[in-house]
Amino acid sequence: MVLTGRAGVLAGAGVVFVALVMPSWAGVGLVVAVVLVVCVVDMLLAGAPGRLQFSRDGDNAVRLGEQAVVQLLVTNPGRRVRGWLRDAWPPSAGVLDPPHKLDLPSAERRRLVTHLVPTRRGDRHAVRVTVRAFGPLGFAGRQGSHEVPWTVRALPPFKSRKHLPSRLARLRELDGRTALLVRGQGTEFDSLRDYVPGDDVRSIDWRATARRGNVVLRTWRPERDRQVAIVIDSGRLSAGRVGDAPRLDHAMDAALLLAALATRAGDRVSLLACDSAVRADVRRPAPQDVLPSFVNALANVEAELVQTDFRIVVSQVLERLGQRSLVVLLTGLDPAVIEESLLPVIGPLLRRHVVLLASVADPRLTELEATRTDLLDVYAAASAARTRLDRDRLTATLTRAGVVVIDENPDHIAPALADTYLSLKKAGRL
Amino acid sequence: MSTPLGRGAGDSWRALRTPLLVTGLIVLAAIVILIATSARTSGPFSPDSTASDGARALAALLKNHGVDVHSTETLDDAVQPGDGKALIIGPAGSLGRPDLERIANARWSHLVLIRPGSRALEVLAPGVQQTGDVLSSRSREAGCDLPAAARAGTVTVSGPTYSAPAGASACYGDGINNTVIRLEVGDRIVDVVGTPTSFTNAQLADDGNAALALNLIGTHQDLTWYLPQFESTDTGTGDDSSAPLIPPDVRYIGWALAFAVLVVAIWRGRRLGPVVAERLPVIVHAAETTEGRARLYRRSRARDRAAAALRESALGQLHKAHGIPRRADPSAVVATVAARTGRDPVMLYELLYGLPPQTDAALMSLSFELDVLTQEVRHP
Repeated sequence: MVLTGRAGVLAGAGVVFVALVMPSWAGVGLVVAVVLVVCVVDMLLAGAPGRLQFSRDGDNAVRLGEQAVVQLLVTNPGRRVRGWLRDAWPPSAGVLDPPHKLDLPSAERRRLVTHLVPTRRGDRHAVRVTVRAFGPLGFAGRQGSHEVPWTVRALPPFKSRKHLPSRLARLRELDGRTALLVRGQGTEFDSLRDYVPGDDVRSIDWRATARRGNVVLRTWRPERDRQVAIVIDSGRLSAGRVGDAPRLDHAMDAALLLAALATRAGDRVSLLACDSAVRADVRRPAPQDVLPSFVNALANVEAELVQTDFRIVVSQVLERLGQRSLVVLLTGLDPAVIEESLLPVIGPLLRRHVVLLASVADPRLTELEATRTDLLDVYAAASAARTRLDRDRLTATLTRAGVVVIDENPDHIAPALADTYLSLKKAGRL
Repeated sequence: MSTPLGRGAGDSWRALRTPLLVTGLIVLAAIVILIATSARTSGPFSPDSTASDGARALAALLKNHGVDVHSTETLDDAVQPGDGKALIIGPAGSLGRPDLERIANARWSHLVLIRPGSRALEVLAPGVQQTGDVLSSRSREAGCDLPAAARAGTVTVSGPTYSAPAGASACYGDGINNTVIRLEVGDRIVDVVGTPTSFTNAQLADDGNAALALNLIGTHQDLTWYLPQFESTDTGTGDDSSAPLIPPDVRYIGWALAFAVLVVAIWRGRRLGPVVAERLPVIVHAAETTEGRARLYRRSRARDRAAAALRESALGQLHKAHGIPRRADPSAVVATVAARTGRDPVMLYELLYGLPPQTDAALMSLSFELDVLTQEVRHP
């Protein structure tokens, strides 16, 4: 049972009535009885929210920051229902509409539209639909709820998409159309061509030169169908917020750019999100499925406050990669964690694969180190300097061990990762 | 596609019965405890009160001497047939004249009036009048031939005084102004006592207070101890002074208003569906540990560590900017930097490799100097 403002006004009028006309127990009783009878009768005459039928339609997935539209189809088999309808979603689903006003005559159907702009990645489930139906007098009504399941998945936004065209242009330059003169582990024989002054003499194919009579070069091109394994650390190190998003989200963005680029380069990309357990796992999807399957797998991954177990990471990667591949670890550069947890187990990976460690740096540290106006700032600057020195030391250690390290601010991490991939490819190290 | 959620009457009852039962039990227990522990009367001169202005000690003393004490706050108990019984009327309250007349007609054998007002004196003790004087608190001799007072000896008295009519015994005063007066009205003995504080828990043990109280009050086996409240049963008798404080209509208006408030509360209180809760991810600032360490440095005044970090950081930048090998000797570093920047080598050595600063000001200036030295490196 619900009451309305009119019931409140009626009860208020009852107070005046008791005060002026019947200041007695009888008067009080009369007022209570009148209000109760009016409200109960009105409630009984109201339409039944419990008998409404609902179905849904609309978007299932939306990129974070964009708008999803979910429709709610309400059918009324019973008496006319007048009142309010609230389509309840969790706060982070970002429902834009206020409760809908509902006037649904008997045996009719209405389509109500709910607009959602999710504020966080992940699945958002519709909670319930609550209908409040008022009686014909407008004094009281009935309220009932329905569960109408629907899920909108907020996908990672892939903001670094804008960097893709320029990197693809460089890839084209690198791939096929421009032959390389360097022979390496990541290149394959492309063709023979005539010597042009300035070419590297080491590339001259003497046997072919002898056959042809003029000087001929061998050219090489980057090998195709290499494997790239992207590993996103979803543990404690990724929970830290850099700028306005957790490190994890920046890492996802970079991973998506790299995946898009590597797919266009003809490489096979797989994805692993892992902390103390595997949270997302996509193994070598077909090229056209790479981005959809990656965003879907990553949509529900949240940073867990646990220490990432790099033994799991290493064994998972080794298990799925046969040939020599590129392993991209997206994690944080925390000396304690990396030195104690990653370095002891990274040996097998380094022996067989190229390992690239990308970390989102925090611009706040640079800011802290540069500000030195008062004593508090000086201590903060010293602390930030110490953090940076530790990171630099760790980077040096990792580089000595053979790991390629990228440590960039959130704005630059995705293009930097793509560039490093391209330069590794260019150098024939893949 | 959709599933109605909702509770029938049975579901509602099943969901609500445990909270209701628990609430009911708590209320019941509270009521029982309240009844079990509450005194029948309370306030000054109450026979149930153990406060310093209560009279529980006197009541206990009377009980020990075989007197049956009934404490009450209702007028009905004070107007019951009182043959062979005694009644004490406490100092507080406002009894109307009709109430006093009903008490007068109740045929009490012995009446004790504690600090009565003029209306009570007029009805119950004709001839006794308030003098308007107030005695200061001190020990006084009885100074009269009332046996009860004479046996008690000196008593600490204070409070208002009364003048006695002819034929009454007046004690503890100067002949005109007296504190204890006994007179006979018809076949009833009436005691007027102006000093209630003498018989309270605080003072009962002083002087002969207890003896006087026992002698005065403990004369009958059955004693009704009446503490009048601010109430009167004679509504509408035309006596202006005893008109009720609250007009009776207000009560009904209050109830109607309470009902209206309830209706409004239900109107405003019902939400359109429940509040939706959400599990939120943990968010920490990535720089939090660094900022925490800065606070630790500051709290422990770790100037040496702070200076070492700043120097190391500056040296790193200088190494990179001037192309100095990483494991270069301090003197070589100083020489190179001095040559490039034209600074004094001794000062440079002190700045880059000197002792840790001893004061916050020294740390500030060190930081400033290093900043200046590396400025061109940072902003080429």
